[in-house]
Amino acid sequence: MAAMSFVRWWWGLLLAFALVALVRVFLPLPFANEIIIFSIYTMGCNYLLGRIGLISFGQPAYLAVGAYAAAFYLFYFGNNPYVGILIGIAAGFLVSLAIGPLFVRLRGDYFALVNLALSVIIFYLMQKVLAGITHGDNGLWFLTNLASTPVLDLSRPDQFFIFGFLVAFVIWAFFKYLDDSIFGACCLATKLNEDKVKFLGYSSFNIRLTAFVIANTTTALAGAMYAVYLGFVSPEITSPARAADPVVVTILGGVGTLYGPLVGSIVYTGMKDVLSKVFGNWELVIGFVLVFIMLAGEKGIWGSLQPLLEKMVLRVTGKTAERGGSGQ
Amino acid sequence: MISMQLLTSGVIFGLSLGSIFFLMTIGLSLCFGLMRIISLDQLLYYSVGAYITFSVSALLGNIWLGVLAGAIVAGASALVVERIVFRRIYDRDLPFTMITSFGVLIGGVGVIKYFWGLVPRPVGEPIVARVDILGTDIPVYRLVIVAIAALVYIGIWLFLNRTIIGKAIRAGTEDVEHVEGLGINVYRLFTITFVIAGALSGLAGGLYAPLIMVDPNMGLDVLAFVFMVVIIGGLGSIKGTLISSFLVGQVVSIGSLVYAPLAQMAPFAIMLLILLIKPTGLFGSQMLKR
Repeated sequence: MAAMSFVRWWWGLLLAFALVALVRVFLPLPFANEIIIFSIYTMGCNYLLGRIGLISFGQPAYLAVGAYAAAFYLFYFGNNPYVGILIGIAAGFLVSLAIGPLFVRLRGDYFALVNLALSVIIFYLMQKVLAGITHGDNGLWFLTNLASTPVLDLSRPDQFFIFGFLVAFVIWAFFKYLDDSIFGACCLATKLNEDKVKFLGYSSFNIRLTAFVIANTTTALAGAMYAVYLGFVSPEITSPARAADPVVVTILGGVGTLYGPLVGSIVYTGMKDVLSKVFGNWELVIGFVLVFIMLAGEKGIWGSLQPLLEKMVLRVTGKTAERGGSGQ
Repeated sequence: MISMQLLTSGVIFGLSLGSIFFLMTIGLSLCFGLMRIISLDQLLYYSVGAYITFSVSALLGNIWLGVLAGAIVAGASALVVERIVFRRIYDRDLPFTMITSFGVLIGGVGVIKYFWGLVPRPVGEPIVARVDILGTDIPVYRLVIVAIAALVYIGIWLFLNRTIIGKAIRAGTEDVEHVEGLGINVYRLFTITFVIAGALSGLAGGLYAPLIMVDPNMGLDVLAFVFMVVIIGGLGSIKGTLISSFLVGQVVSIGSLVYAPLAQMAPFAIMLLILLIKPTGLFGSQMLKR
């Protein structure tokens, strides 16, 4: 029986990532890398929005924290990309731990606005105030600084893909585990009814803070991976025009679904590549897609596909509906 | 230290900046107060107002006509958006409206890029005269902006306190269901409020256009300041919006005189400080109905 439940827990993840591996075979490498990093980036936003009910338009801020922390290390101090990524994660953890207590106290609407303001401020900070260190709009270039590392050489895009793939898999397994844990249930309960959670004796503040830190550390990890992959960081990474990216992808994929960020990233990156070549006007397309999805019922692509797929699986296996806590 | 002349011009500059912020945020604040939506697309009407000002003034040669046309077209586009999009989502929760309005904003920026291209456009200054205040040369146009904002504030105050519709809107910010119970069509109130908000944002864009370059991302450029104003003042409070927009205007203006990067950082620091003491801003209400 243990083997059965083991298989049931992992098969969705394994299947999803087998499909992602197929993406690598059929599509060019930069596209695949972009998808991997973007989906990790979106996962943080997805967790905040889908599980804890906090919408953040300021995710680029935490992305930039991770990216710049990694970039400072790789530009000024060392040359090991792994250490750079670790430093990025640590910076994201510390920053979100520092500002989290202030932010998660806020009501949902203020939370969204304050985060957006934060991301704009970090943009100015990196572009103007710290221009002496960050080289302003020119950005930091350190691709040639990267040392080649044993086992997986992160300075080579093809090996970077394998690394990113493994990291994404671990992140997904982690978030799936969170969903099944008591903490995940607490998060959902906080989203649905905060007062009842308080009556049950849980601290909604602690739950929110933990979720906030987890989500934003994930985002910072994505930032550090961007830095290492591109070998270049500029303030553009947190510009206001890009503030909506993770939110759009989250909505596109389906809020709160486990595989939504993956599906959303693939579709979004694909659309960006194809449509912006055809129309040359990316904002127009993404704006209308976003409004359309919101008006059509905000379930997103994966959110709409999931019930259909489940029905198909049930018909094939002939089982009655019994599922663990995979997705919603 | 800063010279007296610099300080005077800085204060006037801050006042005019605050006026622009006030015109933009009053719409956001009204919409939040009455409809419980966060309408980020106000920033779109701001750009629309600026672009119409640019086109009409280039066509007719009169910038004031351009500003007027800008406000009208901005109000009209707000009406269209309200009819197509917002009408369907009034009863949804806040984050939902915020995402949707961000979609409208981004899509609208795309439309603007389609019509006017990416190149920043200059708009001539309608009043080139300067006046001497405390030994400092001050452009009259900046004073005119402050005067217009003051007029708008008085107009809004009269509208909300002296007319039936205005009183209904004020009552609606307290409790929408009671207003509905009185037999007033609240959805018509929503439309009126939204169009007023859009027209005021358009007015802000048109008035500000001569002082900056008009470019497609101008809405996104002021986004952070607009948010800081709303957060400091408290969502839904007109008095709070007035005070905080002039506060932020002065902080930006004086701050940039002391140390240039302070212009962006100082309002943010103030915002964090105020949120630390009062999580709902200076005049925001603690309760959130619906």
